[in-house]
Amino acid sequence: MISKEEIQNLAELARLKLTEEETASLQKDISNILDYVGQLSASKGVSADKEASTDHPLMTYREGDASLSAPLVHNVMREDLPRLASGKAGTPHASDDTLAGKEESLKAAFPKRESGYNVVRKIIQKDE
Amino acid sequence: MSNLAELSITEAAKKLQAGEITSVDLIRACREAIVARDASIHAYLEVFADAEEQAKAADEKRKNGESHPLLGIPLAIKDNILIEGRTASAASKILENYVASYDATVIKKLKEAGAVFIGRTNMDEFAHGSSTENSAYGPTKNPHDESRVPGGSSGGSAAAVAAGFALGALGTDTGGSIREPASFCGLVGFKPTYGTVSRAGLVAMGSSLDQAGPLTHTVADAEIIFNTIRGKDALDSTSHEAGFYPKREIKKKIGVPRGLLANGVDADALEHFEESLEKLKAQGYEIVDIELPSAGLALAIYYVIMPAEVSTNLARFDGVRYGLSLRGDNLWEDYAKTRGEGFGPEARRRIMLGTYVLSSGYYDAYYGKATAARAQLTAEVARALDAVDFIATPSAPSPAPKLGENASDPLKMYLLDIFTVTANLTGNPAISLPMGVVPREGKNLPVGIQFTAAHGDEAGLFTVGKQLLGEVQ
Repeated sequence: MISKEEIQNLAELARLKLTEEETASLQKDISNILDYVGQLSASKGVSADKEASTDHPLMTYREGDASLSAPLVHNVMREDLPRLASGKAGTPHASDDTLAGKEESLKAAFPKRESGYNVVRKIIQKDE
Repeated sequence: MSNLAELSITEAAKKLQAGEITSVDLIRACREAIVARDASIHAYLEVFADAEEQAKAADEKRKNGESHPLLGIPLAIKDNILIEGRTASAASKILENYVASYDATVIKKLKEAGAVFIGRTNMDEFAHGSSTENSAYGPTKNPHDESRVPGGSSGGSAAAVAAGFALGALGTDTGGSIREPASFCGLVGFKPTYGTVSRAGLVAMGSSLDQAGPLTHTVADAEIIFNTIRGKDALDSTSHEAGFYPKREIKKKIGVPRGLLANGVDADALEHFEESLEKLKAQGYEIVDIELPSAGLALAIYYVIMPAEVSTNLARFDGVRYGLSLRGDNLWEDYAKTRGEGFGPEARRRIMLGTYVLSSGYYDAYYGKATAARAQLTAEVARALDAVDFIATPSAPSPAPKLGENASDPLKMYLLDIFTVTANLTGNPAISLPMGVVPREGKNLPVGIQFTAAHGDEAGLFTVGKQLLGEVQ
């Protein structure tokens, strides 16, 4: 079973505050789920060679067989030019942009707002 | 007039076009059903106060000569799809007060068609679940038996359509979240090929798995919604145009992975499954056995890939720019308190699991292995679909479970998705169709059959679906 310390370390990494009770129940749940997905490591059929695991799985499934079907995932390139969020050519924030006129509603969502700015906590603090 | 709310979209569109009814009539019929029953079903998190105004505007458009099969049709929208100016909470406390500042691309397209949004529907928080019991706002109940779950995570959307609270609904499907509730509520549920429908404006869960799609009474209705929302979108670089995949020749062949059905499927559900196949046989289909050796691993693969993507996607909820924001003694405490209290237990569980499988030292053993197995499974499904048009399985191993039945055992809940996760991992389109009812404790509960097709072969799924359900082509 996964240890209490491991759960606490994961919670720290995931930025979650857990109660004692939840730490204990997560120990049990995560261990059960890891046991279940452990059958992947146990299965002989699956080769975890580097090549297969570094590319996107939906990109390589028909290597050398490209004529049969277009790959599901492929690189999407575009010219490095300013364009609207809508995809049309133009300078961002032009009047027909998808996000044009949305500034106020985006700001309205700020948890704490002052003179149109989002107030956040000071990141670097003095040692006390 | 409440029977108007039980019309299919196709029937309602005909009546609207003929001037027999108005969109306002439809909205009122849905509202009547909602008032009568949604207090106990709890399909909606919010019924929009301006629904009737939207309907009036749609009726006005029709008078001015506009027409579209969805013009004036009341649709229910899952709470993880953004509609500008309206709350989109993903049934989470962390987004309780979040108001969308733009329309999801699917919403933009539905608005252009003139559809009417009647409300936002309940769901498992962030779409994490198979029963809608993980909503931060209480569970939804199955209209066929209120002691049972509607399925999930699009359970509110499914219940809304099944109970006549809307003529159709949008859901999202990451591991079966459209198809499994469709199966439990006796509806058609459709997950398109990955990339066919834009994900822009959906609250992301598993970005390599998510697709939005319809929950409807008929296959023709699902097709209407799909044709409206599909298409390439500059805001989603994984999206592509219709015609991206080559057209396929129809072989009238259906493959059944018998090995997967041997254990765990209810016997009476399996009988309906065989009957459905017989019906198709009578229409000239050939039914053959196929092997998908890695399909038995699909759920294990899914429960590595999905939480990995979930923990990544949910990292954005930090209380800095929007949503719940709690303060602690320092910055770390701000984050941890906001996330600890804002996320429900299942979201926290998946974030923890995802963080674990992506941690250095475990990455190769879990994520690397799952990615390799996913590639293998995708290749197997593609090969199988070279020989047959469709792969058929039940949509779920059983009809809807009781509320609370799986509450103490997350793994048991996950097993409800055993037949649906494969299509998300491999990107294939899949549809769940009603295949009959099975009696449980004096109630008749719907069960569904699932067909999976080759990438881009949505048309094939609609054809076989209409043939099975006897819909006029």
